[in-house]
Amino acid sequence: LDTGRLKESFARVAAHGDEAVLFFYSDLFLRHPETRDLFPISMAAQRGRLIKALGRIVSEVDRVDDLADFLKELGRDHRKFGTQTEHYAPVGNSLLATLAHFSGEHWTSELAADWQAAYDLVAQVMTEAAAEDAKQSPAFWQATVVAHEMRAFDIAVFRVKTDQPLPYLPGQSVAIESEFRPRIWRLYSVANAPREDGTLDFHVRVIDGGALSMALVRSIAVGSRLRLGPPVGALTRGLASRRDVLLVAGSTGLAPVKAIAEQIGQLDDPPRVHLFFGAPRAEGLYFLSDLEKTSDTSPWLTVTPCVSGDEDYPGERGTLPDVMARGGNWTGHDAYIAGATQLVQATVSRLAALGVPADQIHVEDFGWSEP
Amino acid sequence: MTVPSGVDHRLTPSAVQAVAFPSTRLGRRGLDEEHVRAFCGQVEAELVRLLNERSSLEEEVARLRRRLLGQAGDSTSPYRRDDAHIQAVGILSKAQQTADRYVADAQEYSRQLAQDARRRRDEILAEARSNAAVVLEEAHGQASQAAQAALAAPVPQSGPDRRDLEAELAYLRTFSEVYRTHLHAYLDALLRNVEEWERAEKSSLAAARAELPRVPPTVT
Repeated sequence: LDTGRLKESFARVAAHGDEAVLFFYSDLFLRHPETRDLFPISMAAQRGRLIKALGRIVSEVDRVDDLADFLKELGRDHRKFGTQTEHYAPVGNSLLATLAHFSGEHWTSELAADWQAAYDLVAQVMTEAAAEDAKQSPAFWQATVVAHEMRAFDIAVFRVKTDQPLPYLPGQSVAIESEFRPRIWRLYSVANAPREDGTLDFHVRVIDGGALSMALVRSIAVGSRLRLGPPVGALTRGLASRRDVLLVAGSTGLAPVKAIAEQIGQLDDPPRVHLFFGAPRAEGLYFLSDLEKTSDTSPWLTVTPCVSGDEDYPGERGTLPDVMARGGNWTGHDAYIAGATQLVQATVSRLAALGVPADQIHVEDFGWSEP
Repeated sequence: MTVPSGVDHRLTPSAVQAVAFPSTRLGRRGLDEEHVRAFCGQVEAELVRLLNERSSLEEEVARLRRRLLGQAGDSTSPYRRDDAHIQAVGILSKAQQTADRYVADAQEYSRQLAQDARRRRDEILAEARSNAAVVLEEAHGQASQAAQAALAAPVPQSGPDRRDLEAELAYLRTFSEVYRTHLHAYLDALLRNVEEWERAEKSSLAAARAELPRVPPTVT
């Protein structure tokens, strides 16, 4: 396999950008119309993802070990979309047809053979990982909404019950799909530690113009069916640590942080936990009364709400990093931070500036799965 | 010779298999030459017929193939099979891009609507807050006047303490009356708004649900 030649060939085709990816999907859908049902109506984001994945595979084609981990994850991740082993060959054919079409005179039978061999390898690793995964868990979990409550005009808290048990770690997330937005999957953190009855809570805020959040906040109701993907994410607490815990949550970033707090609450000898919960306005502190009820009966838990955009707010005023920074000395704490990306970054920088070692600061990193 | 033959006297493999030649008359060896010659003639005629049929079928296949490839007989036609596929790919790509644009436009529209609604909501809230401040101020003002009036009244027998109390009572009574009136008016308006909003949302949600396509599960 001439990897240099593959890279060069890919760069030539990728230079055509979106046009090449459009060609690929159209070719696939024409030859195998049944595959169209696996994708959402709008393919714009999908094309971006494909070119990103292919680019990564080609650039790592020399580093087989790194690549294999990525491909296995990709193979498992594709199960929830309904991808089957028999879909891989048509995809390979359309991929080669696309490469051939955009390579023009540079397309040779040797190059075709190299691409076919590379694709077969990729498909093999992905399908094997998917088959292995299928022994342990379903492709996705069907779930029914059992409670749904508006907590602010743009925030809903809802509870689902899955048909089959869905094991996960506190702090992890699952992708959600609703019949109101077919084939559109978005990751949401589970807002509770695993329960005996198998119910999961989610906190969802409407993203203006968002593809799925509006449906989850305003369209679904008790009895609605959802599909959940497998748990992902690394914002989880190592049980070995004896340090006290700092939790920082902006708005619905509370969900994973609350799950971690619940997990700590189940310990016989829980460490001290200080939870900072912030929003621009008081009404955005959609879960504060519940948190305060918990902290009233949990001596290990301290909750500090804060509001950044209202001068008249009677409690702590300021951004989460500011309020947190003046709220104590955190150098000996394990910190878990969740919320909007900018807020999380600002909080991480502030903690680093305050001297908290990097390995004690935990944020979410979805890696490839990030939609 | 006995050759079993079909209705149209064509030679069939089973006829060849079953052919039986009579033996020659006494004194000569072998098969009857006349019968063998007749049979060979029949085989030859059959072969000619088969070859003719084959070449006409070949012509027919070639003609059909040419027709499939586009314009019959014209090998320089731009509409070869591959090109037709590439064309279809182009058309489907255009259709997909159109769909992408519609979805993107709808999302952008919904984003703008939501942002406008959010801004409008903040304005209404701010207005309500300042209204509330005005109402409070008015209630204070009227109540103070009522208290002044009570103070200005002639001193009753029970003395100035009682007059002060009556002034305070008048203040509170007026304050609560003015405040309650305003609050009633405000809450009524608010309730009407909420009811209108709920009606609109219910009807639009019902319409959206009715139009929702049934999605079969991908994997069962």
